[in-house]
Amino acid sequence: MSTERIPLDDKALWRRLATSPVAPAAVSDMDFAAWLEGRLPETAAARIEAAVATDPALRQAALELADILGKPLPVAPPRMAVRAQALVGFPAERQVRKSWLASLLPDFGQGFALQRGALAACAVFVAAVGFMLGGGLSERYEDAVYASRQSSTDAARPLGRDTTGELNDLFTDAT
Amino acid sequence: MNGNAGVTELSQIDLRSLATGHKRTWDAFVTAASPLINAVVRRTLATYRSSEDDVMDAAQDVFLRLCANNFRLLQTYDPARAGLSTWLAVVARSAAVDFARRRRQATSPIDEVPESALAVEDRHVEKLKIPHGLLTERQTLILKCLYDEERDVSEIAQLLKIDAQTVRSTHHKALLRLREHFKEEAP
Repeated sequence: MSTERIPLDDKALWRRLATSPVAPAAVSDMDFAAWLEGRLPETAAARIEAAVATDPALRQAALELADILGKPLPVAPPRMAVRAQALVGFPAERQVRKSWLASLLPDFGQGFALQRGALAACAVFVAAVGFMLGGGLSERYEDAVYASRQSSTDAARPLGRDTTGELNDLFTDAT
Repeated sequence: MNGNAGVTELSQIDLRSLATGHKRTWDAFVTAASPLINAVVRRTLATYRSSEDDVMDAAQDVFLRLCANNFRLLQTYDPARAGLSTWLAVVARSAAVDFARRRRQATSPIDEVPESALAVEDRHVEKLKIPHGLLTERQTLILKCLYDEERDVSEIAQLLKIDAQTVRSTHHKALLRLREHFKEEAP
């Protein structure tokens, strides 16, 4: 008990006093919501009130939430709902999203990475087979390149010589 | 708890269907819950340097938290204990605070900070300890809201679901008890 002079003003008196330091108790979301609605029995409510009195952050949360829940709410931006709705898809959509190649493979359930790995292995296999089969094609391609080189070399020959040759051919055919 | 359209719709949501991930129920839930979650997130982030994109991202965080791990959080909701709107508001605030802490440091406009929080404490004046049990939890809470948070009697009445006169009388009784304990008469 103190013998110091106590301020007459209520607010000043409170400022001179300190509540007993108590560690704030953990309050679950469900308990806090029940307390905000005034649904808790007296003993349980007292526990939450002690926590709210001790913890300034919890007190601010309580005052803000009581204010929000007691007023008409403004309309939310439509984009907010659209984004949130996209978080959950139709089950049918989830199945359709599988590619036709993935559908050929056995379903690995939760092993999404394993499925992707198997797909990648298939792709490598197909590429390797294609490369080996492509040997014949490449020979034809080389022939084609060689032929085009030859024709381009012909085109580079002097014009006079070619023209003379063609005229000789023409006269030979005519005779 | 309030009579606006969004929250009224929330009470009509089939929670069992929602917890199983039914798409149409989820969409209806999102439509009904968006105004409340928007209001809570906006209010919570008002004390932080938050942009409109931050508000949208924080709201998305709330919805993500609700549907994550096969709607595990939603399955913890107990309708017998509190209304869905109140519980959602608590969850949304908690998620928004986490979001803001992850993003950046909290700042408050100086005009909105209570005077008591700005005041430099005179460490030479030793505070008198209120003995444990002298005041009830409710009396302590009311005095803290009135003097530390500088809230109106009406705000405290709204918080505690009691009328303003009860707040005044509880405040009066608490001060009488304090003065009596510290042997000082009220004027």
